[in-house]
Amino acid sequence: MAVSDAVGEAAVGGGGERKRKRGSKPVPAKWRTEGEQRIYSSKLIDALRRVRRSSASAPSSPSSPPSDHVRNREVREAADRVLAVSARGRTRWSRAILSRRTLRRRVRLRACRPKPGSAACVSRAAAERRKSPAVEKKTRVLGRLVPGCRKLPLPSLLEEVWDYIPALEMQVRAMNAIAEAFSTAGGAPSSPTHVDSMWIEEETM
Amino acid sequence: MSARRSRSRQAGAGRITDEQIDDLMSKLQAILPEARLGRNDRVSAAKVLQEACSYIRSLHREMDDLSERLSELLSTTEMSSAQAAVVRSLLM
Repeated sequence: MAVSDAVGEAAVGGGGERKRKRGSKPVPAKWRTEGEQRIYSSKLIDALRRVRRSSASAPSSPSSPPSDHVRNREVREAADRVLAVSARGRTRWSRAILSRRTLRRRVRLRACRPKPGSAACVSRAAAERRKSPAVEKKTRVLGRLVPGCRKLPLPSLLEEVWDYIPALEMQVRAMNAIAEAFSTAGGAPSSPTHVDSMWIEEETM
Repeated sequence: MSARRSRSRQAGAGRITDEQIDDLMSKLQAILPEARLGRNDRVSAAKVLQEACSYIRSLHREMDDLSERLSELLSTTEMSSAQAAVVRSLLM
């Protein structure tokens, strides 16, 4: 599977990547570090607990399919939101996700407009020179797949995708690990090797 | 003609050259899984874009499946403090 390649890379290059100074441009390598995935997993677990609590308290008919869909969507949205937060606002796709969720706007934000002076943005006319129709069409398709990047010219879009794909890969890895951990933990409750007091406090809230 | 082949960026306007597009394309190719495109072969821009689209779509599908799975686990898992500690230790 494709994702397992990325995991191998993360294990090998994890230590070295962490020392790299973080510049202002998004660096996709950060998505492959263990540290980043750990932080993401931790925040996601917190978000999932909130989802569980809110869905448990909401009045609903027992085992009705609609509430399953709602919870699925809430889980997916929580995962996306935490991922976008991890991006620290440096990319268009992450800002688009955060705006979409927080403000609950149905209208696509116009935030896709390139800012003047940014290295990645170009005048649309210049960027669209000499593109074959196939490339243009695929550019449009790709732009629709990445949040907030529908109208981006090709170079800016490529920069976004360059960050978005490793982020998605990390998201999948983290959620896989969490799902495995939940499955394992749900089987046999064992006495804790070390107790995380913060966790217990929140759980009894 | 010379304007198109120009290697230097215009100050301010940021005119993108073909080299820069190629550069970004090969950066993207490096991000995509090796099985899809290979690492060093010169692949057409359309192919890179195609593979990027298909890869993102498959990642989204995986995300949907995982969300469903996690959603189910959330409702069934007891999540006592003991199990929470086990979960944490499995992830750290």
